[in-house]
Amino acid sequence: MKFIFLMAMSLFCVSALAQPMADSVELPAPSSAAQRLYASAKPDLLQMRVLLKSGRTQSSVGSGFMVGDTNLVVTNYHVMSQVALEPETYVGEYRDTNGRRGAVELLAVDVQHDLAVVRIDHNGSGFFKVPQMLPQLKQGQYLYSLGNPLDLGFAISEGSYNGIISRSFYEQLMFTGPINAGMSGGPTVTVSGRVAGVNVSRRLDGELVSFLVPVRYVRDLLKKVAAQHQAPKNFKLVVGQQLLAHQAKMVDRLAKTLLTFKELSPYRTPVWESEQVRCWGWSNAKQDKPYAVDEVSCAMESAIFVSKQLETGHVSIQHKRIQSSEMGTWRFAALASSQFKNQNLGGHKDLRFTPPQCVEQFVSNGKLPMRAVLCMHAYRKFPELYDFTLLTASTDASQMTLQSRVDASGVSYQNGLRIARIFLEAMSREAQP
Amino acid sequence: MTAPFYVEVLARNGEVRQRQRVEMLPIRIGRGYDNDIILDDQHASTHHAVVEASADGGLQARDLGSRNGVIHQGKHQNQLPLSGNTIFRLGHSRLRVRSIDFPVADAMRDTTLHAWEGWPPALIGLAMMVLLSLESVWSADIEKSEPIRYVTSLVSLLGLALVWCGGWTLANRLFAGQTRFGRHLFIAACGLLVIEATSLLFSVTAYAMSLEMLTHYGSQFVIAIVAGMVYFHLHTINTAHTRRAALVCILVALLGSGVMLMLNYQKNGHLADELYMSDLYSPTLRLSSNKSVTQFLDQAARLQPKIDAERSKVVSGESAEVSD
Repeated sequence: MKFIFLMAMSLFCVSALAQPMADSVELPAPSSAAQRLYASAKPDLLQMRVLLKSGRTQSSVGSGFMVGDTNLVVTNYHVMSQVALEPETYVGEYRDTNGRRGAVELLAVDVQHDLAVVRIDHNGSGFFKVPQMLPQLKQGQYLYSLGNPLDLGFAISEGSYNGIISRSFYEQLMFTGPINAGMSGGPTVTVSGRVAGVNVSRRLDGELVSFLVPVRYVRDLLKKVAAQHQAPKNFKLVVGQQLLAHQAKMVDRLAKTLLTFKELSPYRTPVWESEQVRCWGWSNAKQDKPYAVDEVSCAMESAIFVSKQLETGHVSIQHKRIQSSEMGTWRFAALASSQFKNQNLGGHKDLRFTPPQCVEQFVSNGKLPMRAVLCMHAYRKFPELYDFTLLTASTDASQMTLQSRVDASGVSYQNGLRIARIFLEAMSREAQP
Repeated sequence: MTAPFYVEVLARNGEVRQRQRVEMLPIRIGRGYDNDIILDDQHASTHHAVVEASADGGLQARDLGSRNGVIHQGKHQNQLPLSGNTIFRLGHSRLRVRSIDFPVADAMRDTTLHAWEGWPPALIGLAMMVLLSLESVWSADIEKSEPIRYVTSLVSLLGLALVWCGGWTLANRLFAGQTRFGRHLFIAACGLLVIEATSLLFSVTAYAMSLEMLTHYGSQFVIAIVAGMVYFHLHTINTAHTRRAALVCILVALLGSGVMLMLNYQKNGHLADELYMSDLYSPTLRLSSNKSVTQFLDQAARLQPKIDAERSKVVSGESAEVSD
């Protein structure tokens, strides 16, 4: 995963993120706008902490901000995920810029967009306004990101807005500015103090490439909070329902996307290539191997964060053509078998999933005969959700085979079968000469 | 009943450990030096028993007031009538008395190939092992060929064979007085050949006929073959106890198979060796027909209740370590 969520979780995490000075970009001196903003935002800026109930030691920290003059605080779902999923073990707490602490009550979560709303024991000053009319942002416009990076202290950083990106399944804003772990859930505001988005993640392989949740989803979630009489008792159920809704949307959208076919001649291999699903190619172009492997693999660039142990709502596709002219039929069979073997399908002692179970068969779709294996396991904590893995190996030639693997995580049983069907029916090869 | 008599001291398995000729009755038995048969047994009394003619003209053993008595089939006997097959115990010594007119059983037919001993089976077994080792490396070699892989495989296989056959040779020497290393080596080589051949046959059959069970439980067949090997090793040591050897082998096979199933269950959560069949061969070997996509997915749909049932089972596993 190329993303890091902006939540400081452990010392290890912090030290792993520390980079040598030579690599970092020189920051401009803080502008007077930043100084002014920080001074006025200070009373409504909070650090959100998740503590172990026994011992009250902190398990993870992030940031949050008070909405207007209400007692509601917006933060990221991933900051509060332990409170949502394991309320018997974890409890939330806020700390403001003056060091004052207090309890938090979780009111609503939006797992898809990674947002959460909590209630605390006092009202805000009214500085952070979640606008009914969304701010029109221009590329290059200065934005200011607030939060508590690495649990070091409250900070403000300046950067620029660089457009809406749709690489992740749900749109996010690209913010070119320094956001560090611990600033998750903090607000990013315009110079006039209007909230533009909520800090959520950054690219580890880039410089200052950070992402924000657009404020419109904050507005939607706040409307939901206003409409509900009381907070849901069991957030596990809520998260499960949202994951189900996500997978329905995801699979529908994917199924509507036309399959594109990558040529691994003579095979025509189906993939979904889109803004969200990126494809990469690879080949073992080494002279010292008696066989050649050419690979196309496509994956959704983002997944839904559920807990530190579980990311889901993801699809990946891999096609691999293996061929050899010098190995002979028997040794090629050994090669094909070894490539088809030892696929990682999850263990049986996993607390998240049930043991994997498979069906296997020789299948033909009229265009290509295949050995097909379909393995499934269920989520223990979320009903109606499963991970599906489809493995196929074409059985059309004695010294060449197309082996494919399609993974769909966090899908309903129906949708898992639906994805398997789409791929099983689309695999084909050019007519034999 | 004709004099002279032979008094035989037997081992627990019935073999004669010591045999002594006595010209006439009565035969005095005990630890003292004034006996006809002197027992080197701390649990035998100085004058333990006497074997004499009984009233009906047969033989009988009579207790001479010994401390531990005359025992026959677990019971103390003051007077014990003796046939040529009656075994009685004095202290720790098991005895049998036979007169010279005792009829012995017919000779067994000699089925042993006496020419098939020593070097010929050893060399042929060795040659088989070398060929098997080279073949197995060759057929699984999916990288550029390197001689060292053949050498290491050969050395490890021969080392293993040496240890295995050495053990059987030692047992043979202990229980039957001769080594017969060549034969044991040949048996091991044949076992290996059968294992390789059946594995390949089962794997190809599973692929050709879509009989996945054959590879899912491949280790069970290997265990059966190893048990068969053990049978032939035992048979080589002692031809007399064929049934006992067979029983031992069946027990070994059942035990091995149970252990293998338990290991699989512990490691993978299911009894089979693998989650799915991964063996692939040339499509020219395929015999069964292909199913349609719908048939395959219907099969998958039917699995759902089974997967859901697993949800309610409690696991005491470790949570997976995931970095973020």
